[in-house]
Amino acid sequence: MADIYLVGVGGQGIITASRIIGDAAILAGKNVIMSETHGMAQRGGSVACTARIGDVQSPLIPDGSADLILSFELLETLRAMCKANRNTKVVSSSEKIVPLSVSTQRLKYPIAEQIGVEVKRVASEFVIVDSRKLAEDAGAPMSSNIVMVGALAGTGATGVDRKHFEEAIGANIPRGLDRNLAAFEKGFRVTAKSGKA
Amino acid sequence: MRNFEDSWKRYFHYVSNDFATMDRVLDATPGSKVLLLGNEAIARGALEAGIAIATTYPGTPASEIGDALARVAKDAGIYFEYSINEMVAVEMAIGAAASGVRALVSMKHVGLNVAADALLTFAYTGTRGGFVLVTADDPSCHSSQNEQDNRYYALLGGIPLFEPSSPQECYEMTKEAFAVSEKLELPVIVRTTTRVSHVRAPVIVGEIMPGLKKKDFVKNPERFVTVPAVARARHLVLLRRLGDAEAIAEQSRFNKVMALNGGGERGIVSSSAGFNYAYDAARTLGISAELLKLGFSYPIPRKLVSEFLRKHRTVAVVEELEPVLENELRALAQHESIQVKILGKEDGLFPRALEFDQAIVERGLARAFGLKDSVPSDAPAPSEDIPSRPPVLCAGCPHSATYYAVNKATGRKAIFASDIGCYTLGVSRPHNAADLLVCMGSSVGTAGGLAKVNSQPVVAYIGDSTFFHAGIPGLINAVHNGHKFLLVILDNRTTAMTGHQPHPGSDRGPSCCDVTPVSMEEVVKGCGVKWLKVVDPYDIKSTTETVKEALAQPSVSVVIARRECALIAKKDEKGAIVKKAYIDQEECNKCMTCIDKFQCPAISTKDKVQTIDESLCSGCGVCVQVCPNKAIKEAK
Ligand SMILES: Cc1ncc(C[n+]2csc(CCOP(=O)(O)OP(=O)(O)O)c2C)c(N)n1
Ligand code: SF4
Repeated sequence: MADIYLVGVGGQGIITASRIIGDAAILAGKNVIMSETHGMAQRGGSVACTARIGDVQSPLIPDGSADLILSFELLETLRAMCKANRNTKVVSSSEKIVPLSVSTQRLKYPIAEQIGVEVKRVASEFVIVDSRKLAEDAGAPMSSNIVMVGALAGTGATGVDRKHFEEAIGANIPRGLDRNLAAFEKGFRVTAKSGKA
Repeated sequence: MRNFEDSWKRYFHYVSNDFATMDRVLDATPGSKVLLLGNEAIARGALEAGIAIATTYPGTPASEIGDALARVAKDAGIYFEYSINEMVAVEMAIGAAASGVRALVSMKHVGLNVAADALLTFAYTGTRGGFVLVTADDPSCHSSQNEQDNRYYALLGGIPLFEPSSPQECYEMTKEAFAVSEKLELPVIVRTTTRVSHVRAPVIVGEIMPGLKKKDFVKNPERFVTVPAVARARHLVLLRRLGDAEAIAEQSRFNKVMALNGGGERGIVSSSAGFNYAYDAARTLGISAELLKLGFSYPIPRKLVSEFLRKHRTVAVVEELEPVLENELRALAQHESIQVKILGKEDGLFPRALEFDQAIVERGLARAFGLKDSVPSDAPAPSEDIPSRPPVLCAGCPHSATYYAVNKATGRKAIFASDIGCYTLGVSRPHNAADLLVCMGSSVGTAGGLAKVNSQPVVAYIGDSTFFHAGIPGLINAVHNGHKFLLVILDNRTTAMTGHQPHPGSDRGPSCCDVTPVSMEEVVKGCGVKWLKVVDPYDIKSTTETVKEALAQPSVSVVIARRECALIAKKDEKGAIVKKAYIDQEECNKCMTCIDKFQCPAISTKDKVQTIDESLCSGCGVCVQVCPNKAIKEAK
């Protein structure tokens, strides 16, 4: 049983990432149930998806009970902490997308250190992935989301083999597969190294 | 490309060759297990049922049903259309189904308000071919203006009702709904919610049946023409058929009793998304109980339910929104003199508003059965000072430009009747472009009422898709009755908010069919409007002037603000050179006009300096016109 909570900002490719995760779970012969909350905006709003791998019926993850939080944006990482508990692993992109409220209401976007402190206060582990740079290094600048899928796979939290993730990537994005697999690999290494995978 | 193609084909047991263009809804081979969205599963179920025709008007959370069918219509050999509104979508499907082919029509919950007039009387005439209407409710109003419970339409119209809980059931019940519809000769409703339509899970699919695509209409006005004499007789037929429907519901495999942890005296009755939470919550609580899951829930199978009530001392009813099942159970228990304690919303165990989650249901069940729940009370409270990320108009959105220009022209002294679409997001600051909004098309009608009793100028905003959907009668009414207001049609050439579907003004249609774009100007003039101008909202100066001129007219005036949705433009112009804007820091005097009066997601303040994020900038050039110091410039 693994409850994965995916968060980020509309337009970051989270729905594609979650579909890859779901397909990978099925390819690995596991049951999976997922939900997505888009909100009203086509772009720029908070997006949250759930992926529950194992024998459950409900698609939503109750507060305080995610096993892993995969965040595509730092501020959203902080917002997702309501789903965390002391055993939750948090894997977050270092990406910052400043919401309009920061400029218009003269608010402050918290600094990375502050976010780190807050996450470590509630969760067990915090890994930051420089997804934009890793995607560029892989020659796939549009594939930050695939780097994050790699980072999820690297933790081993899903119990899904990396080969199934790779198959699912090929299935969902047939074009530019080699570069996407390179992006996946970059993300995979970050967490496979740091975690106990 | 390594061997992924092969593994993908194995995944779908997929045999054809064109890997890159395969579609999981159409091409998944019988017997394979594929990850499908609830909505995609409905589309697949309908294809397997051999539909000849599918229609829709888009609306979250139902849109992906139509979008999937629009995509595959050609290859599947079916007719699909995005109809002008839900009413016409239902009428199209009625015409086809009354002839004898199978028809699917899908919409969001409020769409059925628009279509209800057609549907409720169609239940009297009944159908020849299977007729299935999918309505998707939205508890918690994730993307809606209300959270009405459309199960009441089944009760109101005497229309058999299926309530799937999962994508697998979406698929199976859609197929079954067609069979039931044909057997009873009645329309059937499949009602989902956001947490059913927008859930992805594995679905084991079956074979796509070709199905009848053409028919010769057999005349029978004594049945199909609902003059009063026919209507009176057909109402009796409907009531008889509901009896037959109940007999089918008694035997339906979708109505079943499940023993949880060995079963026992406690009873739970549930349907739709509520079932999922009830099932998981009962397991977390470790309670032994029997759970009656109702999938074919109207007409309610009275024998099955009475038997269940008789066997249990306490029965908790777990259903989102209205206490529909709960009331039916209470009435049944009273009628059959069954001694049972029925607990639900009436007793405050479950809320009547907003969607459920496992914690809500766990607490409710624990209270119903006198147990302690395990819901952690020390879940970390979210920090309060996290800046919010409310939905916003995209960078380069033409609506932002229009709002900026109209605010300039009116000095914000007008009353703004607004409508539903991306442009509704202009309600927040800095545009504050909405003062009244109830439903699609309402801006035009309410503007007339506002103008009659207020002395300020009235501006009505409406999107292009919404104008075609329900704005036209209001406009004719304004012309005929001499209402004075300005109607601004925000024409971004698409139905953006629900996922960029086409509308009657578009020149692209679904895969199956060619379409004829309808000219908005001709429609407006045809409504009798005497003063009409078309502007490009990216040109702030001329838009502002045109709005001023329009407001000076003695009768209703119309401005069409035409500019393609920035997201579509971006897609179409992939690779083209866009003149991005930048802020010349030498000339910026920090007046904050761009942030406080215009607001674009690409412009933000970083370390007290206003900058433009090049990756977000769409190159619309509006901020260049907005900056009073000419500090924003177009890159060469
Ligand atoms: C009766 C009804 N049907 C469907 C919807 C869903 N819906 C919300 S906005 C919208 C259309 C928006 O299109 P348009 O008016 O062109 O504005 P845009 O989003 O493109 O700015 C639709 C169909 C609804 N709210 N009510
Ligand atoms: S999707 Fe199009 S219409 Fe909607 S906010 Fe974005 S640019 Fe504007």
